Amino acid sequence: MTSSSEPLPEFLSSVKLKYVKLGYRYVISKLVTLVLIPVMAALLLEALKLDPAEVVSLWRRAQGMSAVHTLATVFLLVLVATAYFMSRPRPIFLVDFACFLPAPNCRVPFATYLEHARLMPFFDEKSVRFQLRILERSGLGEETCLPPDNHYIPPRNSLGTARAEAELVIFSALDQLIAKTGLKPKDVDILVVNCSLFSPTPSLSAMVVNRYKLRSNILSFNLSGMGCSAGLISIDLARDLLQAHPNSYALVVSTEIITPNYYTGNERSMLLPNCLFRMGAAAVLLSNRRRDRGRAKYRLLHVVRTHRGADDQAYRCVNEEEDRDGNSGISLSKDLMAIAGEALRTNITTVGPLVLPVTEQLRFLASLVRRRLIMAGARPGWRPYIPDFTRAFEHFCIHAGGRAVIDELQRNLRLSSEHVEASRMALHRFGNTSSSSLWYELGYIEAKGRMRRGDRVWMIGFGSGFKCNSAVWRCLRSVETPVEGPWAECIHRYPVDIPEVVKLL
Amino acid sequence: MELLLSVVSSILLLFCLLSLVRRAVDRWLCRRCYLLDYVCYKPSDDRKLPTDRCSEVIMRNPRLRLPDYKFLLKVVVNSGISEETYGPRSIIVGRREERPSMADCYEEVDDCAFATLDQLFRRTGIPPSRVDLLVVNVSMFAPAPSLASRIINRYGMRDDVKSFNLAGMGCSASPIAVDLVSNVFRSRKGMVALVFTSESIAPNWYSGSDRSMMLGNCLFRSGGCSFMLTNDGSLRHRAKMRLNCLVRTHIGANDEAYGCAIQKEDDVGRVGFHLGKNLPKAAVRAFTENMQRLAPKVLPIGELALHAVRVLRHRLLKAAATNSKEPAAGNERVVNFKTGVEHFCLHTGGAAVIDAVGKGLGLNKYDVEPARMTLHRWGNTSASSLWYVLGYMEAKKRLRKKERVMMISFGAGFKCNSCVWEVLRDLDGGDGGVWEDCIGRYPQQTLVNPFLKKFGWVNEE
Repeated sequence: MTSSSEPLPEFLSSVKLKYVKLGYRYVISKLVTLVLIPVMAALLLEALKLDPAEVVSLWRRAQGMSAVHTLATVFLLVLVATAYFMSRPRPIFLVDFACFLPAPNCRVPFATYLEHARLMPFFDEKSVRFQLRILERSGLGEETCLPPDNHYIPPRNSLGTARAEAELVIFSALDQLIAKTGLKPKDVDILVVNCSLFSPTPSLSAMVVNRYKLRSNILSFNLSGMGCSAGLISIDLARDLLQAHPNSYALVVSTEIITPNYYTGNERSMLLPNCLFRMGAAAVLLSNRRRDRGRAKYRLLHVVRTHRGADDQAYRCVNEEEDRDGNSGISLSKDLMAIAGEALRTNITTVGPLVLPVTEQLRFLASLVRRRLIMAGARPGWRPYIPDFTRAFEHFCIHAGGRAVIDELQRNLRLSSEHVEASRMALHRFGNTSSSSLWYELGYIEAKGRMRRGDRVWMIGFGSGFKCNSAVWRCLRSVETPVEGPWAECIHRYPVDIPEVVKLL
Repeated sequence: MELLLSVVSSILLLFCLLSLVRRAVDRWLCRRCYLLDYVCYKPSDDRKLPTDRCSEVIMRNPRLRLPDYKFLLKVVVNSGISEETYGPRSIIVGRREERPSMADCYEEVDDCAFATLDQLFRRTGIPPSRVDLLVVNVSMFAPAPSLASRIINRYGMRDDVKSFNLAGMGCSASPIAVDLVSNVFRSRKGMVALVFTSESIAPNWYSGSDRSMMLGNCLFRSGGCSFMLTNDGSLRHRAKMRLNCLVRTHIGANDEAYGCAIQKEDDVGRVGFHLGKNLPKAAVRAFTENMQRLAPKVLPIGELALHAVRVLRHRLLKAAATNSKEPAAGNERVVNFKTGVEHFCLHTGGAAVIDAVGKGLGLNKYDVEPARMTLHRWGNTSASSLWYVLGYMEAKKRLRKKERVMMISFGAGFKCNSCVWEVLRDLDGGDGGVWEDCIGRYPQQTLVNPFLKKFGWVNEE
């Protein structure tokens, strides 16, 4: 995305009553605990007041109880405890995940990209210069990859080549995942595939069923058109399905197929995706089997989805359309950053109460109350309190949509450069791989050996619609530096310093 | 002190028990999936596709030769489809058939979605802001932002609405959407879900000369449906049906089945939907497997036991016959689904499909009449066809309280999906829906195309 001159709006300048309602709901849900604590405290005080003789007599009395009485009490307690534990929602584990590593011959260094752009019959001189300027500021590196058929001049765009790319990226990622987890295809119960801009019939999910010979009673779903945040939508769907089906495995595949979506016109707002979108795919294995707790890497804590489609401006800011000459492409509007900020703000007001420590929430509530009380006499330049999310999360995976998105989120969430390093480096090495970018970023953190048991990860995805989706994971075991995977060969070179502008000419 | 202890502990225990019971009851209630209402789409009359207009459209393709014209007209004339089915406007007027614009594609979907959704909101009285879950299923058109986002934008839905946009799932996607909704329902109570299902014909019009791909052009027609589901017990009194069970079968693991209905390019690179010769075989396999899994869920124990006995008897006789080298007596009779289900919504994939499925389930003419008449009046409207069939049954006032309705459909992949609903109240009060103006003319005794005289020569070879 171009670095817009408009900064993101201040998040908390108009948070609605929703926060208060959430707080209230939180209190109600913890009512039992809140009532129990003073009661238990009172009992404890009473017990402490007893002298030893009374305690002994009480004990004798208890021993004197009939066997039936004791048995009934014990049985009741056990029953209640069992019912309680069984009624809790099933935990969702992420057993492992795998990302597609493109072959080196798919690389598109800047020089190649520009040479091809100049040779393409449909780009005029101005468009080439515009693309050059985008690349200079994009934050991408020299090793990002485009699918083989995009290396032709002009790119070979057909249903066959698009299917070929889909097979290449999806099957590679799945083969890797199967090798890592020892998963037997016949054990997969749920399959969710998301690919925004390519949906043939039969679907990509049917393609996966065919290739891996999955069972005939599989619950498969194919999501399409849902944008760069669709990876988290698929996780949300898989979670709901896993809650409804005990003892199951769910496979989630996120990808974006580039081949059919190369824009062959000269409209500036539609040239950006050509510069930023690159080939990638991720496959994730989720499970709700209790025996997988030992080997699972993460546990899914929350998924929060926000959809700003009701607002016309938000709905149109990322739009697939045709230009004057009938070439189709994705157009990005100038107020994309503002809309992303708005969506993130709404998402945070729901995520915040779920993850922030009580002190942060109280501080935020206090700031809100103060602001409302002293609205009339508000000092100009009064800054609202932004919760410190670094106290809730150790790692952040921000969708690598573009350099500007990461910059703005870093500024507004007050994150350090280490927190956004995964996003920047994933953008640099792999480009914008759409819905799978979050998984490349998680892979980076693991490859750097930073993932420790108990760490919490916040994944934030943005996408057309306009949507902002979040997922919160907790790490269940310290992850050793992987010997294979997309980062294995190059992690020693990272992090790299990415200049503001890379002068190409 | 002792009294206090025992009183407090018993109160606490009671409280725990009650809250656990409440949680269990809530969870059980969440499993309920009620159909509040559904609205099918009736396109405007200028979009009707009678046979002569069909032939006009066919003749417009310069790549076809006389044998191809004959083949296509033969398909149309013998399809069991009437003169009143509907096609997309852009194809009828001949506007950019080969490269339809996005505006044409959107127009086709918008017409259907907004007409049905407006009516659905009006009829149910439930405002768009109450919708918690939105599922859109249009198999062959998935722009970005998704059609789900388009609907959210148009109706101003809440920002925490859960939306899912399914694509590429073929003609059997209606039960898939219902499956998605019923699974998400289990996570929370008091939810209202909106489902829109349709098919997009304009962007997928085949303009080449491969016969297996031209069939799609002849058989698919415009149509769509919006329906509302809920697991909110307070809306139960307004609901029409309740979902009993749902079975999905996917035989994509078999290469032949996967490739029998597939979107691909022909020899010269034109994209079309290929329907292979082994499609019936794949359909039979998927259907059999689906029925094997569905039967224990819907049939009464008596019928299952009887069927088991029949099968055993047949096997024993067969074994005895092979031993004694005499011809075996008696055939293996099919399971009689009518012992467990009263009404059948069969996917209107074509006359042959309806007949084959009817035979497989042991149905008579009365049972397959809704599907045959729907095929006649509306053509193959893909995933929404089941709802038109349901509309016929409702318009004919066939649906009574406690009766069960089975929906069964097939789709690319290859899938066979079925679900069984229970009718909650006598559905004889409403208007006829989309069948209102023509239900009086049905059932038609002859389904022969009136243009057989004019184009009858195609049947002579």
